[in-house]
Amino acid sequence: MGLKTQRRIPGKQISVEDQRRFGVDGLLPSKAMYPASPEEAAQSLQVCAEAGVTAVIHGGGTQIGLGNPPRSYDVAVSTARLDQLLEYEPADLTCRVQAGMRIQVLQETLAKKGQRLPLDPPLPGRATLGGILAANTNGLNAGRYGTVRDWVVGIAVAYPTGKVARAGGKVVKNVAGYDLMKLHIGALGTLGLIAEVNLKVQTLPEAAATLLAHFENVSDALEAARQLARSYLAPASLALLDRKTLWECGVTADWHWTLAVGLEGYAREVKAAQTQTSGVIRSAGGRIDALEAPPGFWERTRDWPAAETDQVGLHGMSSLTGLASMVRAAGPEARLLAHPAAGEVHLRVPIGTAELMLWRLRQATGEEGRVIVRSAPAEMKVALNVWGPPPPGFPLMQGLKRALDPKTTLNPGRFVGGI
Amino acid sequence: LDQAARDHLAARLKAVVGPKYAFADRYEVRLYQYDASPETALPDAVVIPGSAQEVAVVVKICAEMGVPLVARCGSSSLAGGTVPVAGGVVVAFNRMNRILEVDLENLRAVVEPGVVNLALSQHLRPLGFYYVPDPSSQGACTIGGNVGTNAGGPHTLLYGVTVNHVTGLEVALPSGELIQVGPKKAAISTGYDLTGLLVGSEGTMAVATKIWVKIAPVPPASKTLLAIYQDVRTASNAVSAVVGKGILPAAIEMMDNLSIQAVEAASHAGYPLDAGAVLLLEVDGIPAVAEDLAQRMSDVCREYGATEVRVAKDEAERQALWKGRKGAFSAMGRLSPDFYVMDGVVPRTKLPETLEAIARISERTGFKICNVFHAGDGNLHPLVLFDSFKPGQYEQVLKIGDEILKLCADLGGSITGEHGVGLEKRENIRFVFSQDDLDVMDQVRRVFDPLKLMNPGKLFPTDGQRAVPAPPARSRRVGAPAPEEEAIWV
Repeated sequence: MGLKTQRRIPGKQISVEDQRRFGVDGLLPSKAMYPASPEEAAQSLQVCAEAGVTAVIHGGGTQIGLGNPPRSYDVAVSTARLDQLLEYEPADLTCRVQAGMRIQVLQETLAKKGQRLPLDPPLPGRATLGGILAANTNGLNAGRYGTVRDWVVGIAVAYPTGKVARAGGKVVKNVAGYDLMKLHIGALGTLGLIAEVNLKVQTLPEAAATLLAHFENVSDALEAARQLARSYLAPASLALLDRKTLWECGVTADWHWTLAVGLEGYAREVKAAQTQTSGVIRSAGGRIDALEAPPGFWERTRDWPAAETDQVGLHGMSSLTGLASMVRAAGPEARLLAHPAAGEVHLRVPIGTAELMLWRLRQATGEEGRVIVRSAPAEMKVALNVWGPPPPGFPLMQGLKRALDPKTTLNPGRFVGGI
Repeated sequence: LDQAARDHLAARLKAVVGPKYAFADRYEVRLYQYDASPETALPDAVVIPGSAQEVAVVVKICAEMGVPLVARCGSSSLAGGTVPVAGGVVVAFNRMNRILEVDLENLRAVVEPGVVNLALSQHLRPLGFYYVPDPSSQGACTIGGNVGTNAGGPHTLLYGVTVNHVTGLEVALPSGELIQVGPKKAAISTGYDLTGLLVGSEGTMAVATKIWVKIAPVPPASKTLLAIYQDVRTASNAVSAVVGKGILPAAIEMMDNLSIQAVEAASHAGYPLDAGAVLLLEVDGIPAVAEDLAQRMSDVCREYGATEVRVAKDEAERQALWKGRKGAFSAMGRLSPDFYVMDGVVPRTKLPETLEAIARISERTGFKICNVFHAGDGNLHPLVLFDSFKPGQYEQVLKIGDEILKLCADLGGSITGEHGVGLEKRENIRFVFSQDDLDVMDQVRRVFDPLKLMNPGKLFPTDGQRAVPAPPARSRRVGAPAPEEEAIWV
């Protein structure tokens, strides 16, 4: 990379402010591109590929700390100008949006027609749909409504070859061609730039209710969560919080472990679920002190995993039983937020003990689960092995990267196994 | 392949699976030349492996010899997905039909590809759980085939299609490797979602040998309604109305008059013979909620022109209504010696104009077209009735099919909602994808299968003429089929 200063880097001059905003793990881009259409995005990437420079795609920046530090970073490709709603037909329960649209803006549009996209990733005021797909960012309700992949029915992707290619379509049921939506969801922008997204939406629930229950010990809380997660009237949101996390989410109670249950559905269904949930909690040894969450509680809980801190953020994903093992292994002093119905747990760990905690969690979850570093100081990332061991089928993943991004233009090194 | 090469291939396959389970005899392989589509092609050899390891070796032998292979389970593909159009080896999964594990704690089951869809749910039901996707052919089709086509069914409206219920795969690759991909018992994992990519790839990239599926608690109650309409337009508008009123039904199915005639004759489910169209609607929930929603749906249906709404009184009546719907394709034998089924999708709001356009095509061409389909999803199944013994009819029917799929594509829909592209629609895929789109898919395919030996001739366009099979040289019995014959098919 000694030649770096001699290469002509394409793109617009970047303001100091944007340069800082687009920085990844301390690396700053020297140019930026702001495509306004899928075709322009493809041309931008092609220009980068042909010039032999590297690019990072930037949406809302809420997940920009994810992954290894890039091996190099010349150009930021921002989706800020790709922010239009392209089609929305409420009676079809589908919409088509440009990927730079912020999810909150979309939700507000849908809400006017009594609908929503049942995904609730952190920081919806900033997170873009393209970023949510690329980072596969899920929220509190994934146990009930599924993850990002369950709501995307079509996609338009700009590739470094300069081409725009689509997959899927606009309709809710479609098996024509390969499901390349799945390939790009969670790919962290290493295969192409997601330019447009076609989504399924659903009617807003008729009723909602919250229960906050607290437990003396974590095993009882996990047992209650286990029963709720597999019952027919499963909660829409189910979160397990330790005492400190609870405070940070706005509840100042001296509870060891809190199970926050969000119920949604038809009015009579929610009523029945309240009764059932209370029964499960009591018989597992929990106490219900609040039938209402304080204002802002659910929003703070949703955003907690993405908040910027000076600690290391870990994200465990496993089976429902694997989740329970991870929570137990984290120990009584851990600061965590678990989604027991989705098999996910987020932790904040002091820098000094991050390596030990990561090791303990990876031991606990076995080969079935994964624990990744969600955020950490760049200099720690290599030692922590942020993605863990390469997943099965890794050579195929390398092959896919070579096929679709042959010059390694996009996000070099940031993804699993250094892809 | 010539006879010597076939014998050599068969000998190598026999060495893997034993002499009983591999054969290349011209007479024996004939059973494997067809599926539920009209197309046929003879394989060079058939192998029926008994384990994933055997599959892996078979795949490796095929790759070494440069011989194509096609995985086949229930062979109920309506799109020619399992017809060995390039010859080669048919890998039949009939022996790999074990349910390997049921993990109620983690809401997963692990199965071999040959497990019949319905058999899994029957196995789970006593435990209070089921496998949600229920294609109409669920008594014959297998989970492996469902994974190949990303199969749907009536209940996808609320619960999604196969890919939403599959979390892991073990696959054999052309390299002879056996790898496990996907989060399996977790919901998400790291790396590219190879499971999601492979589901619905119609066996063109790898062969599945083991499948992790989600299982769900059985709804405490289901209420099924039959709403009767004078015509399909009124019924179509009612579909949009129900969805627009904030009710999330588990299924909304439609049948037009011609379909009702056939279904009623076959199953005596109590469908009104004089109705222009009927909707079959279902809601799931706890008993009080299901009851409530059934009433609300019933009101909406009446408000939007239903002349009558019947609610299934008990489970027997409900099952009778579903039996009629799920047996609809096979009941068509009562109307016509042959039928050709399409699988187009349109946005729900385009249903009325699509159905009217199809009616105009029927009038213009003189071929009767029935409609029995997943109205809630906008997934149409026009059935073109014809007689393959009459020269030229099949060719005409294929043209009608092309026209209907073009219509769906032009209205913002798709050429296939659940049956797959297969052999049947490989040229029609250009209605929905550009060459650039297909190029990317082809690049992805070659990562898995650089020699293109996995189910070749499917999914991708060849830009050639579609092969029109000669009329079948068989005798035909006159009259209605026996009840047990109607019960087993699609």
